[in-house]
Amino acid sequence: MNSIFNDPGFWHRLQFAFTLVYHYLFPQLTMGLAWFIVYWKWRALRTGDDKYNQAVRFWAKIFGLNFAVGVVTGIPMEFQFGTNWADFSKYAGGVVGQTLAMEGMFAFFLESAFVGALIWGEKRLGPRGHFAAALAVALGSWISGYFILVTNAFMQHPVGYQIEANGSLGIASMRAYLLNPWAWIQFAHNQLAAVVTGSFVVAAIGAFYALRGLYPVQSRLYLRAGTFVGLVASLFVAFPTGDAQAKMVGNHQPVTLAAMEGKFEGGPMAPVALIGQPNVAKQRLDNPIEVPGALSFLAYGHFGSFVHGLNDFPKDAWPDNIELLYYSFHIMITLGTLFIVLMGFATLQNLRGRLETSRLLLWVLLLAFPYPYIANTLGWMTAELGRQPWLIYGLFHTRDGYSKVVSNGDTIFTLIGFTGLYFVLGLLFLGLTGREIGKGPEERPTTVIPKTKETFT
Amino acid sequence: MIATWYAVVSFMLIVYIVLDGRNFGAGMLHWFVSKTPEERRQVIAAIGPLWSWHEVWLVGFGGMLVAIFPRLMASAFAGYYLALFLILWCLILRGVSIEVGGHINDRLWQGYWDFNFVLSNFLLAILFGAAAGNVARGVPVDAEGNFSMAFFTNFNVRGYVGLLDWYTVSIALLAAVMLAAHGATYLTLKTEGPVHDRAEKSARYLWIACIPLLLVILIESRIVRPDLPGRALSNPFWWLGLIVIAISTIALISGLTSRNELRAFIGSNFLIFGLLATGAAAIFPVMLLSTLAPENSLTAYAVASNPNTLRLASLWWPVGLALAVFYFIFISRRYAGKVSIQRDTQGFY
Repeated sequence: MNSIFNDPGFWHRLQFAFTLVYHYLFPQLTMGLAWFIVYWKWRALRTGDDKYNQAVRFWAKIFGLNFAVGVVTGIPMEFQFGTNWADFSKYAGGVVGQTLAMEGMFAFFLESAFVGALIWGEKRLGPRGHFAAALAVALGSWISGYFILVTNAFMQHPVGYQIEANGSLGIASMRAYLLNPWAWIQFAHNQLAAVVTGSFVVAAIGAFYALRGLYPVQSRLYLRAGTFVGLVASLFVAFPTGDAQAKMVGNHQPVTLAAMEGKFEGGPMAPVALIGQPNVAKQRLDNPIEVPGALSFLAYGHFGSFVHGLNDFPKDAWPDNIELLYYSFHIMITLGTLFIVLMGFATLQNLRGRLETSRLLLWVLLLAFPYPYIANTLGWMTAELGRQPWLIYGLFHTRDGYSKVVSNGDTIFTLIGFTGLYFVLGLLFLGLTGREIGKGPEERPTTVIPKTKETFT
Repeated sequence: MIATWYAVVSFMLIVYIVLDGRNFGAGMLHWFVSKTPEERRQVIAAIGPLWSWHEVWLVGFGGMLVAIFPRLMASAFAGYYLALFLILWCLILRGVSIEVGGHINDRLWQGYWDFNFVLSNFLLAILFGAAAGNVARGVPVDAEGNFSMAFFTNFNVRGYVGLLDWYTVSIALLAAVMLAAHGATYLTLKTEGPVHDRAEKSARYLWIACIPLLLVILIESRIVRPDLPGRALSNPFWWLGLIVIAISTIALISGLTSRNELRAFIGSNFLIFGLLATGAAAIFPVMLLSTLAPENSLTAYAVASNPNTLRLASLWWPVGLALAVFYFIFISRRYAGKVSIQRDTQGFY
């Protein structure tokens, strides 16, 4: 019996993928939302208009729920480096451990020390202190993102390392490791994508209140900020960051680019497939609708550029799930394009003063909020599936990385446990977030009480 | 160099246990010190805004362990596979029960989350205690430096041991009682009214209960690890730890008897810190003792990263620690004093 289900590597990958995808649903919102909160808090400081404070109070609650789930689902991620990927940690721990530890000490400490102050400290800290807390939390969440992306960029494009006497990896240049060009582009692309998620959620709740005719001042605030930031971020996600990311893949991982495009035969004037299903057995794209030359142009800047096909590489260098990789990439691109169209149209309507009155547009904005989550997830699936069969590109195979002492019985047990636990967690999160949205941004103004040492709320 | 890093990594874990230990303890006692819904909210509010700040110390420790001792992290985490996931799930349950309980003001809802809160904190204290016991006793490390362990085998302390045996179970019990005492001392400091009075009483009984347990474990340790005293006596950090224990015990006792709640709590923190630090100093340099053959044991020297990696880490770690101290001061000032419950737009707890 030799099936994929007997392969321990499959179960370790499935568990890590599941827990990671689930975890990242929460930080992508907090990283995006954090800057909305900072912005509104800043406006409140500048203008003294309490509507901004109301927005901050409301969104800080949504933020808090996301933050809490993000923390509790994030700790298993770090531990799984040891429990499930022991051989990888043994090999590369001296390198990737540095950024994991830095993330803890420079980002999480900052974020978690101030998040309580952001959510519950408005009265005690006063406006300036509250603004500082919001800023600290936003910075912490982005610094954390940077260290994790440096870690991932090392796995995509290892730089700054050396191979030690015992065969494991060590850091040769901290500067090269931390300033990996791959990390900068991936960071910009990923953080902007988080802002897209944040702006879609802000716009969706604005649209929800507008459709119900509730909280007109607040809903206008959310709709305007959400659609405008959504347009800008969606544009930047595509160009220059997404474009640069694809070029980098083309230069450093050409076989990945070929697989992402479902391209088996190499050649000049390479097309981009708008639609089509990869057929790996027959080595072709079924039912394709293609734009000739587009891939050559996008990847290398000229329509005539030669683009490698999968057949230019040995089969054991191919990503091991070409179909899923192809769909992840293509659906992400399609969604990203639709985001620009939707937010562009909404911004146009806003300029014409029709944003809050066009019910059809409001409905679309309301129903659109899950799609940035899908696009973010698919982007990460593209990055991680595209890296296969490598765990560290060109250095270390995924099949060598998992913990050899852990039996399938253990892995399947913990996978089942996570599935159950995260299902309940998801229900709780949705229910409680729904309640907060139902309660709405509160209308009554709060009075600032003087700082005393006796109480906190 | 390696010894310093051993101290740094142990420090991060011990700080985590001291900080989150108060939450485990307060959580365990939740039902005993608070009876009405208002009192229950008081306990939650005492730990509410800070649990994530405490929990990230565990993340910081995990990251340091990967960076500094990657081969130990790989061996130990894979070996403790199921036990670690139990800890992770309890941490998830604990965090969730703090956060969601206050969202709906309903007796059934809050009662349910209070139950999860008590259970998860109790299990966490037991699991961390058993983990400490396993480090002291050793695990079945094979010649390749790997091990895989069942929850229990024959409850014996030699050969193919399990996670639980008579020694690790007694340390788990001590951990539960001592962290409960720590939590009670914390609640005495942070609360008022009936919760305060019950917590104060519990703290005294629980600290007294620690004394016989601690003596029993000292005798047990002498049987399980006859090699330890000789090694510990020559380690200056072990002596330093003893001094910390002595001073903090005096502070704790005088704080409890003179009702100086802050002094008692500081003593309680340093007492647990000192106990764990002496333990860590006593076992050095062996980080994972093999119960199968002593030569299989993993020492700090064998599992550490290469010198260049350690040197690079020594450039940024002190900066991170300095920032952590700064946050710690902010938090201590910001959350100083007794908690009070206010039902308004600012209060979840």
